[in-house]
Amino acid sequence: MYHALLTRRYLTSKVMPLLASLAVVLCTAMVLITWSVMGGFLMNLTQAGRSLIGDVRIAWPSVGFPHYDDLIERLEADPEVAGAAPLIETFGMITLLENKTEGVLIRGVEGESFARVTTYADTLWWKPLAEPMKKDTEREDVRLEPTDHDLLERLYKDGLSLSEIDRETGQRESALVLGIEVGGWNMRTDWGGYYPRVQFINGSDGSSEVQNLFMPAGGELTVLVVPLDSRGRPMEARTAKLPVANEFESGLYDIDRKTVLMDLKALQRMLRMHEVKRAVRSGDEVSSPLDGFFEDAEPAPEREVVVAPARVTAVLVRQADSDDSSAMDLDAFREHCRAIYAEFAAAHPDVPDAGSIGVETWEDANRMMIEAVKKETGLVLIIFTFISITAVFLVFAIFWAMISEKTKDIGVLRALGASRMGVAWLWLRYGLAIGVVGSVGGGLLAWAIVTNINEIHEGIAASGAWLGQTLTGVPWNWYIWDPKVYVFKEIPHSIEPWKAATVLIFGLLSCLFGALVPAARAARMHPVKALRFE
Amino acid sequence: MSTPPETTRLPDPVATGTGQHGSESRATTQDRASGDAALLRVTGLRKTYRLGRVDVPVLHGVDIEFGRGEWIAILGASGSGKSTLLHLIGGLDRPDKPGNGKPRATIRFNARDVASFSHAELDRYRCRDVGFVFQFYHLLPELTVTDNVLLGAMIRHGRFGYMAKRADLRKAAADLLGAFGLKSRLRHKPSQLSGGERQRVAIARALINDPTLLLADEPTGNLDRKTGAAILDVLAEIRRERGQTMLMVTHDPEIAARADRIVELVDGRVVEASG
Repeated sequence: MYHALLTRRYLTSKVMPLLASLAVVLCTAMVLITWSVMGGFLMNLTQAGRSLIGDVRIAWPSVGFPHYDDLIERLEADPEVAGAAPLIETFGMITLLENKTEGVLIRGVEGESFARVTTYADTLWWKPLAEPMKKDTEREDVRLEPTDHDLLERLYKDGLSLSEIDRETGQRESALVLGIEVGGWNMRTDWGGYYPRVQFINGSDGSSEVQNLFMPAGGELTVLVVPLDSRGRPMEARTAKLPVANEFESGLYDIDRKTVLMDLKALQRMLRMHEVKRAVRSGDEVSSPLDGFFEDAEPAPEREVVVAPARVTAVLVRQADSDDSSAMDLDAFREHCRAIYAEFAAAHPDVPDAGSIGVETWEDANRMMIEAVKKETGLVLIIFTFISITAVFLVFAIFWAMISEKTKDIGVLRALGASRMGVAWLWLRYGLAIGVVGSVGGGLLAWAIVTNINEIHEGIAASGAWLGQTLTGVPWNWYIWDPKVYVFKEIPHSIEPWKAATVLIFGLLSCLFGALVPAARAARMHPVKALRFE
Repeated sequence: MSTPPETTRLPDPVATGTGQHGSESRATTQDRASGDAALLRVTGLRKTYRLGRVDVPVLHGVDIEFGRGEWIAILGASGSGKSTLLHLIGGLDRPDKPGNGKPRATIRFNARDVASFSHAELDRYRCRDVGFVFQFYHLLPELTVTDNVLLGAMIRHGRFGYMAKRADLRKAAADLLGAFGLKSRLRHKPSQLSGGERQRVAIARALINDPTLLLADEPTGNLDRKTGAAILDVLAEIRRERGQTMLMVTHDPEIAARADRIVELVDGRVVEASG
């Protein structure tokens, strides 16, 4: 009972334990805030990485596989599958303005199925907005302009279908959808949005012409791809000049900077992966649909016409109710998709077998990126944890000093019959109390900061601007997480209960550990020496 | 400064039902009443301290005996070993181990040898059988007067025992403090009290567990003569009302004269015992 009484009294009547508690509060909060922000960063990154992949990808890169329609049909017939979409991924080049070329990842997709399986529709940038983005307090976003509503609505539809109507023919033709950072034609704003850049072109006569680089408004780009034959050998490169229908923002700079989407059929034709009719002599074995192309040839009378089916390099699959906790585990779903593919492969001898085909989850696909961020998070945590261990030494030093100060009290307690263990437990309990106060306080502080981190960030930036303006006449940029620089518009954060519990327990144990040696010293004190201590 | 009313009878925590070992305490009360058997018998008590590499003998084989209900004053100059004797009797320290021609020292309390007690037995002995009063009061500054007095009871009864008897113990503490004229000071901190008041709180703390033996180390040494006299009055009152066995260490013959018997220590040896 005296433990509780003295712990309470010592805790509330001394400055030093309050300072120790404050140190624990700050260390706990620091580690928790770091972990939460890094965790949020990782979460945003993985979600962004997932946005254009779906849940599972069945892939046979380069040459692709045929009969994908049948595979999609089989997949979509399964109750665990919400949808499936064909995809071609290939590397190619685009010719930018001023005839510069740039290597990009070209993904051929069907707009409708791709939007069903991924969050593609959400990533399309140019579309009418009803409400401004969170940081766009001045409503500067051009997408808010009511006068441009119809144009933006059209661009959105064009983006979804990866096509646009040709002004001359009136026919809908294939179009490109570019990553928002491709070509650097858009300027990132300080509220996390984009403005199309304008370019000044100086004429030879000294005149200057302003060129609008808003690509979806009449912009055209030349795309170059290299088809491969059935053995993966490059064939003659093919080019196509295609209009730009829209731009997308996935949230991952690498994807937004280096990815171009185009209509699946158009890309299949360019890569010679579309359906072709081929004439073969009767009895000849059809070794591969890629061994020759007679696209425009009429079959000879003595020859048999065979159809080489269209191919894709991947099929993306979305799990039914993947956010539902009762849904199948993602790895289990991957194996489920593999099983469906095995049935499909059994029905089609000209597709890769189930053991060879690549079936991977979105996590598998982004593993390199996720693991890198996880390692960074771990590294940062280790560094901050080492810093926080100073709290142990702080508690140790404070307790050592307090025990010296309270030597007489210890002597009195022993004279009144307190045992050595009782005295030790008094100080351990005291350390525990500091740990509880510090950890809980740190947890609450971290929660308050993390849940308001963007407001605090804005406040700091505004203070810097005001202070700079006041002192030097030039506002200081105190933005740490500048939306102009970082892909994420806000500081990501995520406090998970198990992380909070881990940090709190660690804080608690640190204090207990810090109090251990001083407690042992107090317990070993000779009562007479303690009473005579001056 | 408040002084205890002479006519006030001191409350007995046992009588209020707060003693943990009722039968043991009752027996002790009966023993006190009889006053004939020796409560404490010390034989061959030696104590040597080590200062650096030098052994400093303080007690050179003390033999002494205290009867139940006696008030004994240990008189001696500074360094004579009187406080050491008190600490050894109170179980705060242990006598020298036998060997090198030194016989084994015994401190027989109620027919049990305190010198051979284990750590746990010594803790229990200090908690239940002995009450200490120190020259410098040694009150815990963070605690109120009441909490200081209850500290010994908290240690004795443990968390659950104390909680079960909390009301009775608080009443016993309040009664003790009231008897010492400190009724209005229950919630005060030691820093808000005078020296005499602090010493009375310390005496109340020593009595809360109704110990058989009250050990007072220069209880008036830090007080002016008038206040010191008032404290001695309190001790006399305790002895009269409760039949308490008291051992008081002092260097002042005038103070020692208040006791039933004086034992004089010179250089660690009993040189004179007067009745």
